[in-house]
Amino acid sequence: MDSDIEMELESDNDGEFDDDYDYYNTGEDCDVERLDPKRADPEYFEYDCLTVEDIEKLLNELVEKLNTILQITPSLAKVLLLEHQWNNAAVVEKYRQDANALLVTARIKPPTTAAEAASTSAAAAAQLLRLSSSSGYRTSTTLTSSLTTAASGNLQQQPQRRMCPVCASTQPNDKFYSLACGHSFCKDCWTIYFETQIFQGISIQIGCMAQQCNVRVPEDLVLTLVTRPVMRDKYQQFAFKDYVKSHPQLRFCPGPNCQIIVQSTEICAKRAICKVCHTGFCFKCGMDYHAPTDCQIIRKWLTKCADDSETANYISAHTKDCPKCHICIEKNGGCNHMQCFNCKHDFCWMCLGDWKTHGSEYYECSRYKDNPNIANESVHVQAREALKKYLHYYERWENHSKSLKLEQQTIDRLRQRINTKVMNGSGTWIDWQYLFNAAALLAKCRYTLQYTYPYAYYMEPGSRKNLFEYQQAQLEAEIENLSWKIERAETTDRAVLENQMDIAEKRRTTLLKDFFPLIGKT
Amino acid sequence: MTAPRRLRKELVDLQESSLKSFRDIKADDDNLLRWTGLIVPDNPPYNKGAFRIEINFPAEYPFKPPKISFKTKIYHPNIDEKGQVCLPIISTENWKPATRTDQVVQALIALINDPEPEHPLRAELAEEFLKDKKKFVKNAEDYTRKHSEKRPAD
Repeated sequence: MDSDIEMELESDNDGEFDDDYDYYNTGEDCDVERLDPKRADPEYFEYDCLTVEDIEKLLNELVEKLNTILQITPSLAKVLLLEHQWNNAAVVEKYRQDANALLVTARIKPPTTAAEAASTSAAAAAQLLRLSSSSGYRTSTTLTSSLTTAASGNLQQQPQRRMCPVCASTQPNDKFYSLACGHSFCKDCWTIYFETQIFQGISIQIGCMAQQCNVRVPEDLVLTLVTRPVMRDKYQQFAFKDYVKSHPQLRFCPGPNCQIIVQSTEICAKRAICKVCHTGFCFKCGMDYHAPTDCQIIRKWLTKCADDSETANYISAHTKDCPKCHICIEKNGGCNHMQCFNCKHDFCWMCLGDWKTHGSEYYECSRYKDNPNIANESVHVQAREALKKYLHYYERWENHSKSLKLEQQTIDRLRQRINTKVMNGSGTWIDWQYLFNAAALLAKCRYTLQYTYPYAYYMEPGSRKNLFEYQQAQLEAEIENLSWKIERAETTDRAVLENQMDIAEKRRTTLLKDFFPLIGKT
Repeated sequence: MTAPRRLRKELVDLQESSLKSFRDIKADDDNLLRWTGLIVPDNPPYNKGAFRIEINFPAEYPFKPPKISFKTKIYHPNIDEKGQVCLPIISTENWKPATRTDQVVQALIALINDPEPEHPLRAELAEEFLKDKKKFVKNAEDYTRKHSEKRPAD
């Protein structure tokens, strides 16, 4: 006991001579005092808000780095990086191991035939270099002449002409372009094809025009042939979007019309706040920040909650999310074999399973009607019970959500009250400012509390759930206390109120520390 | 527009190739974008009749895929009551401008001859096809006899 009191006295002394404290203490002591923010604050998150130009610079640096290592064009380097989450080392590593395989998987080269398979990686590298030469896509005249002269020797004199398989018109050879696969088409057809694809929002995924050929069209060929500025811009915009989306550390700010891209090396469900439009969002899934609930659960919950609205009914009846990239897909006819237009994942519309496992297992998903959810719903009592449970959580979720939406009104009311108080001579305007801090903290706590309800809803019953709901109840109680105190505060209540703020915030961080899924792992 | 030149060439090529299983190929007199033809399948239960199809080409052809529909009713897991057919080769995602109509038709004929119950348009027929093949074949034969066109003599 005695020593405790002594220590308190000592620390009080420190407080009094605050300025001196800073001067005379060495850095080491300061470090001991300062807590590691990563440990102290479960929501601590390091990130940068970058502009499009910053990102272009960042990506270009990566591209250039790869260029200098592998001696390839930026356009090919971009494709390779895109396919490897912009991991330079991974590309170089794969290139050293098997350049040929790398080019095939990145769809720069067609799959090798048995004859070519004998050629070494060095040959593949040589081919890559040839592809990279500036006129690489022009179907080379030397190549064609070597092919055609075998048939007839006198072709050298007259300009060679051939028919484009797409437009069926005969044109001089120098109008033809081809990729590594050798499928050759005329310039006009390539151009119209590119524009059609760009119009559909496809950019870096544009493939060769030949049936069954999936060799990718690199950026430089598209930009050589497409001359209309509108289409070029569109292509570059779409490509940029794809590049950013393929980079694991980058996220577009979801704020309306906001151009900011958020970067973080820590890829987790923490809150990033855009420095320009101030939109806060979950870095992992891009939705509203939702601690302590994780991304999948909040998704499930929000869909469930939205079920009342007509749009949501339509979405659930006619659309599903791609099981791989989660983009929303509308089924507008056709069979159950779906291919996601975004990530090209093949899946079954009925069971959302990988299509590869189908064929023999069709029956698994034709038994859709036996879906446990539907079976349960037919049982009256169970349905009622489930609804009751859902409503319990939903009402609380909705209640806090509404309170938050009214936040501006609360602040306005607070301001009015303060004005009246000041006019009546009880305290000055400055004396009342602490109430706004309290209101901000209240909103912050309410926000977390709101997101504890979906978490609890999907929790398995058990001791952990009991603990969670206990902490949730504590937080709820302290928040109500705080709210009550803010509404009735006088200038003299400042200490009481600040104490209450501290308690509420402690409850909030404790709950997050114990249950925010990322904290335990990192 | 590239569509007319390419279509004229494809039509001539198809007519000259005189396929046994795809005949009577015609474009509308006033509209080169709409073709009709007769599918003559080889495999039972469809080898008892012939099926009229319509191919509609978009104005942007060959940069956008054609659409195929059946004018003759057919009892088939992959073709619905309206005559719509789900053919991956002409889906928007898979379409390639260099794909020729004869390749599309070949894919269609292959689908008619060997139904793919794994991705059906008519789930009930797919189920019957897998569970009770005999019943399916009988139903399909009856249906073919009743609704399909006469097969060409040769």
